[in-house]
Amino acid sequence: MLVQTAALAKRFQMGENVVTALQGVDLAVPENAFCQILGPSGSGKSTLLHLLGGLDRPSQGSIQVDGEPIDRMDENGLARFRRQKVGFIFQSYNLITSMTALENVSFPMQFAGIPKRQRKARAQELLERVGMADRADHKPGELSGGQQQRVAVARALVNTPRLILADEPTGNLDTASGENIMELLAELQRDGATVVMVTHDTRLTKFSTHQVHLLDGRIVPSPNGKPKKSRSRSR
Amino acid sequence: MKFLDLVRLVFENLGRRKARVALTAFGVVIGTSAVLVLVSLATGLQRNANEQLYGIGDLTQIQVYPTYGGYYYGPGPSGGGESPSDPVLITNQTLRDFAAIPGVMAVVPRDYFNGGLMLQYGRLEGYVGIIGIGTDNLSNLSLTATQGETLVGKNTVIIGSQVAASFYDPRIRPGQEPPPPPDLMGETIRVVLIRWNQDGTETRKTYQLRVAGVLTETRNEPDWSMYISLDELTKWNEWSMGRRINRDKDGYNQALVKVEDARQTVEVTDAIVALGYQAYSPQSFVEGINSFYLILQIIFGGVGAIALLVAAIGIANTMTMAILERTREIGLMKAIGATNRDVMSIFLGEAAGIGLLGGAGGVLFGWAAGQIINVLALAYLAGQSATNGGPPPSVAVYTPPWLPPFVVVFATIIGLLSGLYPALRAATMIPIQALKYE
Repeated sequence: MLVQTAALAKRFQMGENVVTALQGVDLAVPENAFCQILGPSGSGKSTLLHLLGGLDRPSQGSIQVDGEPIDRMDENGLARFRRQKVGFIFQSYNLITSMTALENVSFPMQFAGIPKRQRKARAQELLERVGMADRADHKPGELSGGQQQRVAVARALVNTPRLILADEPTGNLDTASGENIMELLAELQRDGATVVMVTHDTRLTKFSTHQVHLLDGRIVPSPNGKPKKSRSRSR
Repeated sequence: MKFLDLVRLVFENLGRRKARVALTAFGVVIGTSAVLVLVSLATGLQRNANEQLYGIGDLTQIQVYPTYGGYYYGPGPSGGGESPSDPVLITNQTLRDFAAIPGVMAVVPRDYFNGGLMLQYGRLEGYVGIIGIGTDNLSNLSLTATQGETLVGKNTVIIGSQVAASFYDPRIRPGQEPPPPPDLMGETIRVVLIRWNQDGTETRKTYQLRVAGVLTETRNEPDWSMYISLDELTKWNEWSMGRRINRDKDGYNQALVKVEDARQTVEVTDAIVALGYQAYSPQSFVEGINSFYLILQIIFGGVGAIALLVAAIGIANTMTMAILERTREIGLMKAIGATNRDVMSIFLGEAAGIGLLGGAGGVLFGWAAGQIINVLALAYLAGQSATNGGPPPSVAVYTPPWLPPFVVVFATIIGLLSGLYPALRAATMIPIQALKYE
């Protein structure tokens, strides 16, 4: 298993109330899976994704990613883990508006200490892969939402992570652009990557190999009776 | 993260917010240029003062006088009159003691003529001080001659640069042009000593002395003095007082102590004072003036530093705002693998960068302002000195070479320090909270 959690719980302090976002989540994602985490808003699916990526710390339970116990890592360990093992794709792209597409893609490599020339070559290569090579010198403001998300996908891939985490990557896109991004992610998975994606859009399940349904912070059986595992892919 | 990448990123980030960075840096410009101009002004004033002090005398020379004790004769009847402290005289033993103080090169006793005296040269008369000097060569006192020599010989005299100008014609008629000062070099002048006896009568004694040398102008006492040997002067004084002088009992009136290096002057002066004598050196005066200007520099620098402090608060404010605005960016940087240290370095770098830009701008601005002040102030001061006399000042604002780099580094450090709190806040943000920040 690439990702394995045990009795994972996350509670937030909201003023005087304690909100339980996750409780007792045991999740296992095998290598080279395309795992979709589905659930209504407030079900804790984004929280789960953030915990898997080391962006936040669990209140209880353990997480192992690629054999590393990230619940026990310190800040520097988590930074290294994020740099080496995971690539994030966000709903709102989170590109830096003052940088060109190429600079955005190569940005993470600065923190990895890769020389400039190598950074540029690698970023160019990835922009080609996501079909954005001709827009390399454009800034995010000059790109459509779908194009921006492609750049963000390229950025997520730049340090060749073991795990790609996508948080509603199609949430801000129209259907066609969303389909495009999903095709891209599916392609990455076919090429060997492991993708964990959060969505509330059940129409996208056709791209996935695994599905996990969350409700009120717990994993629940598929609400419409379908089996949890689905390999009914369109291609 | 590599240092070069960090520097590049910092300046790219600063370039993104040009207007705000420029405004914040302008505060630093004002602060640093204030420091630069004010410290330069204090330094310029000090240099000016030191230039005007030229002629205050030889800085390696200490004048030592005996202490005659604080005699206090109380109003009580008999039995009083005991002095609280005995007079401390400069005896021959004292001269040897002075010579033993480390750093002392020479000890020269000297004395003035105590009686009445008149100089005659042809029909001209003059009145100047006569100094008996206990050395065979005036060059030991750092005096040089424009004409003749500085050797103190028998039946010769060495005169100061203004002595010739003091001669006048006592029988001049009103309206008649006064004669030009005579060239006394090699000439024989007559020294007339005058003694008043108990019965009110006057006795005169005349010496014929040849002028062996004329001293270079010092703008000090030697200009108006004539030098003869101390032995000769002692004879004159004995004749004038009508008794013999025993230097071991009567002491010398004054001794000049010459040290090897001006830096030792104050130390040696203190040592002599500790022996109970009164000692003065121009050096202690100069050092007093220098410490005054040092204090002036510190005060001026402090005024500038207040301006810099205000600028530092401006930097802190700008950086705090920037961190609020760029919270999501901080979250993103952490998500793609930046360590806390990376984030901290970037924001510290930006704060230091504002300080650096402001510091560099402040140096240019301050330098330009200094030049303008120099031109205006020199024109004004030159006019002043033309009416008051005295040499015109050469410089009003002087920037020491170490000051500009120091000011730039200082401004950068100020920037760095003001960025400390905001950068620390940025570095310790929890990534997901930063990413979700709206």
